[in-house]
This record gives sequence, structure tokens and C-alpha cells, in this order.
Amino acid sequence: MTVDQKVRQTLAELGVTESAGVVALFAEVCETMERERRELVNRVAADKAERDRACKELRDRWLARKNGLLSLVDERWLKKAPRELKPVVGQHFNALRKASEQLEVGVLAREMKCRVAASAGAVLEARSPIVAGTTVLSGVSPDLTLPSIRRPLGSMHPVTRVLREIEEIFIALGFRIETGPEIETVEYNFDALNIPETHPSRDDWDTLYVDEKTVLRTHTSPVQIRAMRKYGAPLYVIAPGKVYRHDKPDSSHATMFHQVEGLAVDRDITFADLKGTLDYFAKRFFGEKVRTSFHPSFFPFTEPSGEVAISCTLCDGRGCRVCKESGWLEVMGCGMVHPEVLRQGGIEPEEFTGWAFGMGVERYAMMKYGIDDIQLFFQNDVRFLKQF
Amino acid sequence: MRILLSWLREFVEIPFEPRKLQADLTSIGLSVEAVTSSGSDWLLDVEVTTNRPDCLSHYGVAREIAAAYRTTIRPLKFEVQESAEAASERVSIEISDSSLCARYCGRIVEGVRVGPSPEWLARRLEAIGQRPINNIADITNYVLMELGHPLHAFDFDRIQDRRIIVRRARAGELLQTLDGIERRLTANDLVIADAARPVALAGVMGGQNSEISPQTRVVLLESAWFDPVSVRRTAKSQGLHTEASHRFERGADIGMAPVALDRAAAMVAELSGGKVLRGRLDVYPAPQNREAIVLRQSEIARVLGTEIAPSEVERILVALGFAVEAAAAGWCAQPPSFRLDVRREVDLIEEVARQFGYDRLPARVRSVSPRLERDVEREKILALSRLLTGLGYREIIPSSMVDPKDNALFTNRPPVALANPLSQDASVLRSTSLVSMASVLAFNTDRGQKDLSFFELGKTYEARANAHPAEHRVLALGLTGNRRPPSVHEPAREAKFFDLKGDVESVLELFELPELRFEEERCLAYEEGLAGRFVSGTTVLAALGRLKPDIQRRFKIRAEAWLAEIDLDQLLAFPLKQPMLRPFSRFPTVERDLSLVVPMGLPYRRIAEAIARLGIEEIYSVEPLERKAAAELPAGLVPEGHASLFLHVTFQSLTRTLTGDEVDEAAGKIYSALESLGVRLRA
Ligand SMILES: [Zn+2]
Repeated sequence: MTVDQKVRQTLAELGVTESAGVVALFAEVCETMERERRELVNRVAADKAERDRACKELRDRWLARKNGLLSLVDERWLKKAPRELKPVVGQHFNALRKASEQLEVGVLAREMKCRVAASAGAVLEARSPIVAGTTVLSGVSPDLTLPSIRRPLGSMHPVTRVLREIEEIFIALGFRIETGPEIETVEYNFDALNIPETHPSRDDWDTLYVDEKTVLRTHTSPVQIRAMRKYGAPLYVIAPGKVYRHDKPDSSHATMFHQVEGLAVDRDITFADLKGTLDYFAKRFFGEKVRTSFHPSFFPFTEPSGEVAISCTLCDGRGCRVCKESGWLEVMGCGMVHPEVLRQGGIEPEEFTGWAFGMGVERYAMMKYGIDDIQLFFQNDVRFLKQF
Repeated sequence: MRILLSWLREFVEIPFEPRKLQADLTSIGLSVEAVTSSGSDWLLDVEVTTNRPDCLSHYGVAREIAAAYRTTIRPLKFEVQESAEAASERVSIEISDSSLCARYCGRIVEGVRVGPSPEWLARRLEAIGQRPINNIADITNYVLMELGHPLHAFDFDRIQDRRIIVRRARAGELLQTLDGIERRLTANDLVIADAARPVALAGVMGGQNSEISPQTRVVLLESAWFDPVSVRRTAKSQGLHTEASHRFERGADIGMAPVALDRAAAMVAELSGGKVLRGRLDVYPAPQNREAIVLRQSEIARVLGTEIAPSEVERILVALGFAVEAAAAGWCAQPPSFRLDVRREVDLIEEVARQFGYDRLPARVRSVSPRLERDVEREKILALSRLLTGLGYREIIPSSMVDPKDNALFTNRPPVALANPLSQDASVLRSTSLVSMASVLAFNTDRGQKDLSFFELGKTYEARANAHPAEHRVLALGLTGNRRPPSVHEPAREAKFFDLKGDVESVLELFELPELRFEEERCLAYEEGLAGRFVSGTTVLAALGRLKPDIQRRFKIRAEAWLAEIDLDQLLAFPLKQPMLRPFSRFPTVERDLSLVVPMGLPYRRIAEAIARLGIEEIYSVEPLERKAAAELPAGLVPEGHASLFLHVTFQSLTRTLTGDEVDEAAGKIYSALESLGVRLRA
């Protein structure tokens, strides 16, 4: 429906019952008016009589007492507005009337003359502002306490935020970022990592299979092997990425999540480097006051293997519900790279030693942002996303 | 593994309260998940890693505690009262495949009365989560939980010809196991058989044909050592996981076999009134001797980063049951029979580190020498995500696994099917990101969220015949609802094709792309006439469009949805735009508005190209400000089949102020160039 048709109907006939609809209607009218005005003043017409005729035509179309578009708005919209909409219609109508002063023949003619002069070679001044919003149109000083006009900003996914933070800490220490495929061979995902099919440790990873020889990687550890084979030693890499488990989804399990694996291989690398670096990492990530504790664990690809616990960030180690009264939270697995794994990576274990770690990114995000359900990360509810 | 504190205390002195014990066990690698009180007793839930089957019993945990607390483990106290008759007279035991069964011990107890266990025994089993059955079965279970060695009890009267043969099953042989399931066996399965038939699946579960019943009078107790790989294979292929298979597949203690047997025999005699026949049958064709491992003191320092006093190293290894001898540069350590996991020097180092305490080892932090090379790819990704968040897009991370039917709505490219998916709607790895984007838009509009802009930096996956599946990196964009929400200042404006097109352009503009152009293009998922793509040279970089209304309805997206997928493998191969300064003019600009009438079928692109081909240096910019079809305008303004086009042209010279004549001349050239395309000046 054109504006010409709309102004011939009442708000009720147009189905407008709320002020938002009124705002939109007036905006449309204003835009149309401004467009027609611009079209006119942009028309190059040297003949004064012709100019005057065109100006009068536009002026009459809008401002004529009888059947001018503004008088129609007055009659159909304002006078027939339901009582509750009257104030808002009135306010916008006033603004429209103020703006329509630009359509008076004298103003239009002046503007057109100026254009003619410009097209004759003079430099134009800034074009008259394009008027779109009703508050600007009103011409009275606006209420500055109204909400601002904001360009909506986007946001990074919390997992990405945490991932970037982790990456940056290790990049600053001189590590490089390395990635690998999510669809892995059994060889890279298990065999080369000292996890033979014949050993029950294989069952520690509930695996999604594509076929007998192909899996969705259960950890980013295969990137260790790929990086060692690609670069040799010395080597300092972290491998962030998606991993998959055959786990029924619940508030603490997801079939897909993110891990960061780290690997340092060099001469003169010891367990002390592992401890020192991960303690540094924990303090950078969780806060300077955090203390770390290391205790033995088992991973087929590291020996000795360990778990890193940090002093509970909630209770500062005194014991609370979150840390199950222990004062400690386990945050990652780590260990000295198993000699067999170094050999699989083509690195001589008598010459080089290495340390490695693996951490779950979602868990870190949960700790950092107070999230208690891992499923929230992958539902992508905008009410969740907009908080990051 | 559930461990009762009182049971532990039968073997080792624990002068601390349970919380302290919990922390101490954790610090030597036996993580205690929970400590709960159970009557006057305490229950520890110990998480035993797969390499430590020796800790799957009270005795095994006590051994670790004794080492940690520098005390000794109490010896087992029991005595087997034997009768005069020799067991070997009554049964013959034969191992026909000693590669799968290295040792088989047996004892016979006769005159037993099968009935409920005494209360103390039943209570203990219940406390650690085991269901009491009858005294004989409960005793084997009790000894398993106490000493960690799996046992089995046969009703000896049901063993045909009094013969026990440990052999591979014959293909197709049947055995009904204690859980009532009839199992078809293969030659890979090891069985315990009598003269005629299998009577147990070795190391996994007994058979019903020799099960202990209330009528049982004579019991044959089995305590054997089965090959871990074989037990694992059988348990897996039969889908049967038992306390016994759990331990055998991790590696049982071959030295414990006779001890556990005697312990069980003594208990059976005591609790069921039976008599143990004289002698333990022990078929052990090739007694195993663990090889000693060399441990260099220098290697301890090379791995742990610190010296550990030789006396401390020795103390720890001896306490853990290793036979230690001094050697040239360190020691020779022979692992005990219960430590099959210790096979290398570094395994010994872990033992030392573990008992020494990880927290007592030194720590140091060093940074690596700075890298010269830049991580260009990361820079590109960061630039993309900064740009998109600035443009108002929110990042999503949807699951890679989708329903193949949904996937097929968006692309013909084959997704990667999973062999063991969790559910049908997550049974393939998607081959398009659009399916996920549509799902996320649907999820949100379904929850009353209207104005949405999302991006995803992810992957798509592609099945390939006779080849490993391919992975492609993509950037997906999705828009629906208002581009600008209504406010007191401005009315709302819905997102449209050109919003998406502009955002894709902004993304592409980060890169140095030769011959970039936009083309209208069809696509499976996009509505015809509202779809296009960006191409650089011959490389397709992005495809975008309006989601087909039928797909939109199927996904229950409440409003029009605009989607784009950008090929990141291609895009990231191009360099980021590097700023290179070009001179700019000090002279004023002159603007002209050209009011044109253009044929409806003439794309704007051809007008822009025609003007560009003129090569007029002074044209600074050309912007179409308005385009309206005849039908949208007052009648007669523009002829049928035509549209009005308002071109705003800015002229500027690098070297001088342009005169009106020069600009008019240039405008004239533009007019005449456009005339050949059927464009006319509007009156
Ligand atoms: Zn706490």
C-alpha cells in the first residue's frame, strides 16, 4: 500500500493499535516526503517558470488545505485516533508539520536554484541532511534522557573466549598453534599414543567410529604425533580443537567438546618444566593467588603421568560445595611424554625429553563464568550468547 | 573400587582419620572420589587407573598405604586344614594352550553345605556393593575383593570324568553362562572344559552346567592366570564385563593365584563345614620370572629435574615390592609379580616420583626463544571474528553431528556417516554449515527471539569413496528479523538480502582478492532469484541467499532467514589486505545526480561496468541512491517495463579544481555510454 493510500484510511483500518505502529507509519510518510523533495531539488531545470511550477505541484500535493496529504493525516489519523494513541499521533503529526515547512515553495525554489548553480560548476556544500528519525524531525530540542541509538554489537562464544585466552598464554611462552583433523585414523588417535586395542585403557575413551580404522578423535593428542613427525624436536606446540565422545549428553557430558593439548619436546626438559609451566598457566588463567598441586595419574602416552589441581577459586582452598570440601579442583591431565610416543613421533627418547598436558575448554569456561550445564554451550541460545 | 577402612586396617596400621587418608592416597595416585561413613565404618571410593589392577583389592591398597606411611603390611593369617586324601587322586588338570593360561591352581573341598553366608561376611560384601548369593560364591567374591585375585567354584560332581582341561573353544561350541545366556563360542575364546564340554568361559564367567547349587557337596576351587589380551577379546566379543574379566584383562598377579586359592579353601572349610583335600594342584608349565630393569640415577635427574637421594630411591622401590640391587650407575630392580605395568626405566622413575610426592619435586618456568615466523592464519581468524562481532554477529558453536535428512535439504555433498551414532538426529557429520545455522535460528525464534545475527567458524565434512573423509573450514552467517530494531528514534528495518551481501563483502574485503565479483546463482537451499555468490577469478568464495520458504517452515524459523557460507580453506589462502598509501586529492569534489530511466532487465552491474570502462579518472565514486520500478511510481512517470534510477556521481581531480564544463562533459560521456544499454535520461 502506498503512502497515498494509507493516509486515506484510519489507524484502525490500517490495523495500527500500538504506538510502535504509529511511529512506523509516520516514518514512512516522512521518508516519502523527503524523497520526493530530494527528487525535485535534484532535478536540473534552468527555466524559472518550470521550476516554480514543479515546486508548487509538490507543495500542493502535501500541504494543500483540501486533500493535501498532511490534511488527510490530520483528518484520518489524528482526529480519528483512539484516545490512548492521541498523544503519540499528535506529537508525530507536529513533527511532520514542522518538517513539511521544507516544502514551502520559497524554500524549495531556493534549494533548486542552489542546485542549478552547483551543476554549473560550483562546489556543493554538504548535502542537506537526510531526515529519517522522528526525534530529529521534531525540531525541538530532544529529550536527551531517551535511550541511545546503538549499533547492536555481536559477541564471541564463551568457548572461543576461553580458548583464545589459553592460546595467548602459551603463545607468549613461545608455543605455536597446531591443528589436525577431527576425523582421525585409529593409528593416530590410539596406536601411536601407546593405547593398543588389546589394553583396557582403550576403553577410557568412549569412541565414535566412522569405520574400523577411522574415528572421531577422542582427544587432540593425535596432533602431538602429527606435529612431532612434521617438525621434529625441539618442539613447543599447543593443539586446540573439537573432540568427540560416545557419551550420552547431560549437564556434564557432551558428545562434542573442545580440548587444548600442549607438548614441549627439547633437550633438558624435565618434570620441573611441566610443573613450573602449568603452575604459571594456572596463575595467569585463574588468578595470581591460585596454588597448584600435582598428583600421580595414568595416561598411556605419558610417564610419569599426573593430574593438576588448583586451589578452589570459590573458597580459596578452605573447602566448599563446588570442590566437594576438598579445597582443590582438578583442572588437567599432564605428564612426561612416554618414550614410546616420542619414538612414534620420530624423536629419539635418549636425546630428547618432553612434557604434555590436556585440558577441557568447556570446563574452564564453566569455572570462569559460573556455568553449570555443558549443554548450554552448544544450544546457542541467544540469551546465553549475549552475556559474553 | 569401594574400600572399607576396617578391612584395610586388617592389613596395615592407619594412624590417621579418613580425610587425611584420602589426601594421602590421592597424592600417591590412588584418587579417592568420595569418603562416606558406613555405620561405624568408612567407605572410600578409590578410582583405580587401568594400569594398576594390583590396587583393585583391599590388600593391594593396603600395600600402597604401607609404602607411603613407611610401615609394613601385615602378613595374611590363615591356615588350610587338609584331610588325608590327596586332591590329585580325585581330579586331573591339564592346560592345552599355555599361551593363554600360564597357571592353573585348584583345590577340592568336600562335604560342604551350601547355604547363606554368615552375617559379618554378607555385611561386608553389601557394604562394598556386592550382593550375597550363597556361602561358596560369597567366599570367592570376598577373596576377590580382599586379595584381588578372581576365583571360581565348580560343583565338582558335575564335572565329567573329573577332568579339567583349559583349551580353546571349538568354533560354534555352546555354553550357557551363569547369567543364563547361551553363548556361541569361537576358537579365539578360552574355556575351562571337562571331558565333554565347556564348563566356564575362562576368566570371564562360569557355566550353568557346573554351577554351585544347594545340592552341591564337593567344590572345586579354581585360581588361575589367564592371558589379558585373550580375556579382553572374549569379554568384548561376548559383551560381558565381570569383576573377574576386569582384573584379568588388566593383568592379574600370577604369584597371588595359589595364595588366594588357599585363603578361599580355608574359608570354605570353616564356613561350610567341608574338608579340604590334601595338596594344591598347581599347573604352571613355565614359571614366570620378571626381568630386572636398570635404573640409572642420571636418568632420574634427566626426567624429574632433580636428584633424589639413593637411599630414598631404594627405600621406595623396596617398599613397593621390587627386588633392588645396586648396579654401576644406579640399580637393577626386579618388579614384583603384581606389577605388570612396570616394564621400563621410566616406569620405575614414576614409582619413585609418585611415592616421593609430585608436590615435593621442583618447578621452573622458562619461555622458549622468540619465534620469528608469524602465525598468519591465526591473525586472519582473529581479524574475521573481530570484524563479525563488530558487525553485530554473535558467534555460535553448534554440534557437527546432524540428521542426514536435514543435511540433504541443503547440499548434495555426502556427509560422513557414523558407525555407532548416539541417535539418528546426530548420525552424520554435516557436509554443510547451513543445516546447523538453520537449526540455531529455529531454536532461537522458537524461544521468542526475533532479531538474530549469527556466525560460525567451523568445519564441514565430506565422505569420499575409498578415501579418508575430507574436512573443510567454513564461515557461516545467518540473519533473521530486524536489522535495526524499532526505537523511539528510528523505525524498525528488516534484514534483507543486501544486508547479508554487504556483510559478506566486508568479510571478503579483509583480504587481497583479485577480480572479485558477485554473480546471481542458484543453490539447493536458497530461493531462486534471491541467491548469489562471490567469485574471485575462478574461485567461488561465498554463496548466500534467502532460505527457501519450505525449508524455513520445516525448521520452524518464524521469519525470513538469510544465510551465507564462506569457503575458508579458499579465503584463508589469500593474504590479508596490507595498507599501501595512495595519494588523495586536495581539490574539491563536484557532485551530480543523474536521474535515469533504465530497462527492467538491465542489472545494475552492467551500468557500473559501462561507467568504469569509460576510464574517466575524475570519477571519484558512483552510487545508486534510488531504484524504483514503474509500478512503484506515480503513473506515467516512467514507461512500463522500466525503472527509475537515481545515480549520485562524485567527481574529483588529483591535480586541479574541476570546472563545470569538465564535469558536464564527463556526465555527458556517462549518458552516452549508458544510452547504448537502453538507458535514457528522465524528463
Ligand atoms: Zn571450594
